[in-house]
Amino acid sequence: MKKRGFADLFFFFLLLYLFLPILATMLYAFATNWNKTVLPEGLTFKWISTLFQDSSFIEAFGRSVLLSGGAVLLALLFIVPAIFVIVLYFPKYEKWIQAAVVMVYAFPGVILAVGLIRAYAHIGVPMILAVLGAYVISILPYIYQGTRNSLRSVNARQLLDAAELLGASKAQAFTKILLPAVYPGLFAGALLSFSVLFGEFVLINLVVGSRFETVQIYLMKKLSTSGHIASSVVFVYLVLMGILTFIISMLTKRSKGAAKV
Amino acid sequence: MSYVVIEGLHKTYGTNAVLSNIDMTIENGEFVTLLGPSGCGKSTILRIIAGLTDATSGSVKIEGKNMNNIQPKNREVGMVFQSYALFPNMTVKENVAFGLKMKKMNAIEIVEKVKDTLALVHLSDKEHAFPHELSGGQQQRVALARALIVRPKVLLLDEPLSALDAQIRKKLQADLRSIQTELGMTMVLVTHDQEEAMAVSDKIFVMNKGEIAQEGSPTEIYTKPESEFVANFIGHYNVFTREELEQMIGGKLPGERQKFAIRPEAIHLKANEGDFCFTGIAKEAVMSGNVIRTVFQVGERTFSVEQLHDRGSSVELGNKYRCYVSQEDVVALL
Repeated sequence: MKKRGFADLFFFFLLLYLFLPILATMLYAFATNWNKTVLPEGLTFKWISTLFQDSSFIEAFGRSVLLSGGAVLLALLFIVPAIFVIVLYFPKYEKWIQAAVVMVYAFPGVILAVGLIRAYAHIGVPMILAVLGAYVISILPYIYQGTRNSLRSVNARQLLDAAELLGASKAQAFTKILLPAVYPGLFAGALLSFSVLFGEFVLINLVVGSRFETVQIYLMKKLSTSGHIASSVVFVYLVLMGILTFIISMLTKRSKGAAKV
Repeated sequence: MSYVVIEGLHKTYGTNAVLSNIDMTIENGEFVTLLGPSGCGKSTILRIIAGLTDATSGSVKIEGKNMNNIQPKNREVGMVFQSYALFPNMTVKENVAFGLKMKKMNAIEIVEKVKDTLALVHLSDKEHAFPHELSGGQQQRVALARALIVRPKVLLLDEPLSALDAQIRKKLQADLRSIQTELGMTMVLVTHDQEEAMAVSDKIFVMNKGEIAQEGSPTEIYTKPESEFVANFIGHYNVFTREELEQMIGGKLPGERQKFAIRPEAIHLKANEGDFCFTGIAKEAVMSGNVIRTVFQVGERTFSVEQLHDRGSSVELGNKYRCYVSQEDVVALL
């Protein structure tokens, strides 16, 4: 029993360590005044409503959605078909994708930023497009894992064979059988990528900065003016991520059910 | 002209020959089995017939028509896979209807045919279920229905039953054979289970290392194996060298062949006229329900005898017995 008590205590402190900052931030977003007291003196929706009345926040939010969503969409259009073809028909080239995946993690953000500026700033490519391109590549790991795992779990090659022998063309087999079968895993990968990009700050700040103000950059500006507003931004962000995570977990559960043979 | 003719089929991966010089003929409405250990190339033959794998050389003809440059979807060949390969996003009904939809058959006819085919495989009550809600045996029935409904010229079955447990496998074997007879459909089954091959086939091709070791009816294959490989693979044959057997029976054997095989159930303890006779010491006995298998020792080597499990056939371990075998049951091997 004594041992168990120690474990529980340890677990309690771990949770406290992890969640206290988040709880405090969220509370601060709704606090009227919180200077000399342990808990806030009062609660208010003032900060949240101020935030949503600030047109530059709404615009920043829109830009973030546009940028992250655009990158995910491009990845789905170009990277996913490539992964399909490689995994199904040229498995020996898979090691190159795996190498690319590792590169994405290994590359330091600062080098990437400086490299992008050096490479594109002088030839007239808008820097925001350069960042978009880098984003598309940077979500390769999530897209690749999501796609490949769902292809593996449904034994995609055999499904294609079965469909073809029943008279389907390759295109029909792909659209009628394979896409619906791997869709949940693919969608989960896309949402994960979206949430990662939505929180990205280093690259966009260094390369583009306030010329294209995303939520993260807006947040940094507000940090120096109002802690309450900054906390509200974080609150909104956390709620959005919570929703996305919930959808992802629902989808992965469903795809597991469907893949059970 | 036979219905399916395979001539001079070769398949190599790099320098590794998977199939060499395969010739096969299959008649219309015949149930043919390719039997062999795993890795002997039997599944590759099926994939080549279906057009899913290209042969290195050789030809496949169905109804006299060369299939070499015809796409899988136009070959009118059906296939059932070991892992079922059902479409996970479709219900049983949609899975079965898929082939007809691809043929652009009208909806009313499709509903009718799906109903008939599901009745044929005893799954009428499951039409709205998804594959993951079914047992392995049921999933394989759906896969069978899905392949049967388009009435392929040849139905290929790639170890369809080996993932199922023994009882369901036996039941499905019987069903498979009765459906095949009912529809008069040409079927090619791949299996490594010799009992399964015996139970369902009109003709068996025994395969070893990418070559056909022997072909014939189940009875021919079982009673007249041509090589040591077939004798060992098809049953628990006792294989002797000429020297060993001549020493045991104390006489000369006819012919030039150097190896001989005797089925364990062909050896008995009661004498008939003209039988070869030898003595052995009973070493161990294993009872498997209706059959008792006794291992006898004679000199350096052992042989096994199988008898029906009835009273009076029991053997005392450690005792010496005279064993008899009819001359016809001593099979000379190549």
